Amino acid sequence: MSLFSLRSYNPVVKVLAPVPAMVVSIGSRDLLTPAIFAAVALVMLLAFGRLSGRPLLGVLLGPIALVAVMTVSFGVWTDPAKVDDTSALFTLGPFTLWSGALETGLATGLRVTSVMLLALLAGLTTDGPDLVRSMITHLRMPYRIGYAGFAAIRFVPRFRSDLEVIRLAHRVRGVDGGRGVVPAGRRWAGYAVPLLAGAIRHGDRVSLAMEARGFGAHRTRTERRQVPLRARDAVLAAWLISLCYLVPYLSGVIR
Amino acid sequence: MKRLTTRFLMACAAIGAATGVLLLPANFVAAAISAAVPLVYAAMVGIWLIGPVVALAVLRRPGAALLTMLIAGIINIPTPAGPSAIITNLMVGVAMELGFLLTLYRIWKPWLFYVTALVFETFYAISAYTFFNIDDMTPAVQGVFFVLMGVSAIVFTWLGLVIAGRLEATGVARGITPGRRPVAPPAL
Repeated sequence: MSLFSLRSYNPVVKVLAPVPAMVVSIGSRDLLTPAIFAAVALVMLLAFGRLSGRPLLGVLLGPIALVAVMTVSFGVWTDPAKVDDTSALFTLGPFTLWSGALETGLATGLRVTSVMLLALLAGLTTDGPDLVRSMITHLRMPYRIGYAGFAAIRFVPRFRSDLEVIRLAHRVRGVDGGRGVVPAGRRWAGYAVPLLAGAIRHGDRVSLAMEARGFGAHRTRTERRQVPLRARDAVLAAWLISLCYLVPYLSGVIR
Repeated sequence: MKRLTTRFLMACAAIGAATGVLLLPANFVAAAISAAVPLVYAAMVGIWLIGPVVALAVLRRPGAALLTMLIAGIINIPTPAGPSAIITNLMVGVAMELGFLLTLYRIWKPWLFYVTALVFETFYAISAYTFFNIDDMTPAVQGVFFVLMGVSAIVFTWLGLVIAGRLEATGVARGITPGRRPVAPPAL
C-alpha cells in the first residue's frame, strides 16, 4: 500500500508511538503546546488517514465542538479566586465569568482534544485483528492470548443475536416490571447474567473445538497474513517522538 | 503459560467481549460528558471496574482481570478513546489485579474487591487532576469530585459482585476455578 496512507503502517507502532506525545501534552499548562499537538495530529489524519464519510465529518467537527464545550464548561467550574485579576466578561446573579477562567477552560479543552486526536491516528486507521496479529509478532504476546482476542472479536456479533433471544424469552414469560427508568434499568440488569452465562458456555465449546484441533500444542504458530514492520514505521515513530521536543520548543519560540 | 488453559482464556474472552460492548457506549458518553459536566464523569468512572471485578470474582485465577481488560480494549478500538482504550483498560486490569497479587491470590472476599477498587480510584483521581485541570476548581467542587469517584467505585464494584454471584449460581464457571463448590444463589 501507499507510503502516504496511515493504514499501511504497523498497528503497534501507531498505538505506542503517540504515547510520549500524549504525556507531554497532558503535562503542558499553556495554550500553544496542546494546540500544536492537536493541529499536527489533525493534519496527519486529514492528509494521510484516507478518511471518508462519518469518520471524516467527526474528525472535522468533533474537535471544534469539544474545545468549544469544554472552554465554557470548565470555565464555569474554575475557582474564581484564582482568576479574579483578569477581566470580568459578564455577571449573572452571584456568578461572574472571568476571562482567565475561560482561558483555563480553553487550555483543558485543547489538552483533551490533542490526546484524543493523537489516539485517533491509530484508532481510525487500524483494524482489530491486524493489531492483534502485530502484537503477537512484534510485542511477543503469547499467541494463545492473541487468539482469545480474535475469538472475542467474533463474540460481539453473537452477543447481538443472543441478546435478542433473551429479550424475547423475557417478554414471552412476562418479565416486564413496567415502564420508566428504574424498571428499564432492572430489565437491562436482568439481561446481563443470561448473556454472560451464554457467552461463557459458548467460550467453553469454542475452547473444546480449538483444543480438539490441536490449538496450543506447539510453542509457536505461523500466520497466513503477515503484518510487516518496515523502515516507514521507524520514520513514523521517530517523527512522533521528536514532536515531544519540537512542540514545546516551538511554542516557546512563538510566545 | 501452562496454567492458562484454553477454557480459561475463552472465558476471559467472553467476559472481555461483554465488557468491551458495555464500554463502547461508555467511551462515547464519557467523551461527551467529561467535556460538558466533569463531575458526572467522576460518577461514571466506576463502569470500568465491572469487567475486571466480574472476571476475578467468577474465575478466581491470576491474570483474569488483566486478560479480560486487554480483550475489552481490543473491542474498543473504534471509539474516541481509540487504541489508547487498550492502555486505559490494561491500567484498570493491572490495578484490580494488584490487590489480589499482594495477598498472593489467596483471599477472594468482597472487602478486598472494595479496597482495591477504592485505592485504584484514589490514584486515578490524582492522575486525572492534571488532565482536567481540577486544581483550578473551587475546593468544594474538588471535594465532590473525589467523593463521587469513591462512591462510583463502590457502587460499580458491588454491581460487579452481584453479577458474579448470580453467574456462579448458574454453574457456568464450574471447573475453571480449581477446588470450588457451587454456592447457593445470593439473595437480592
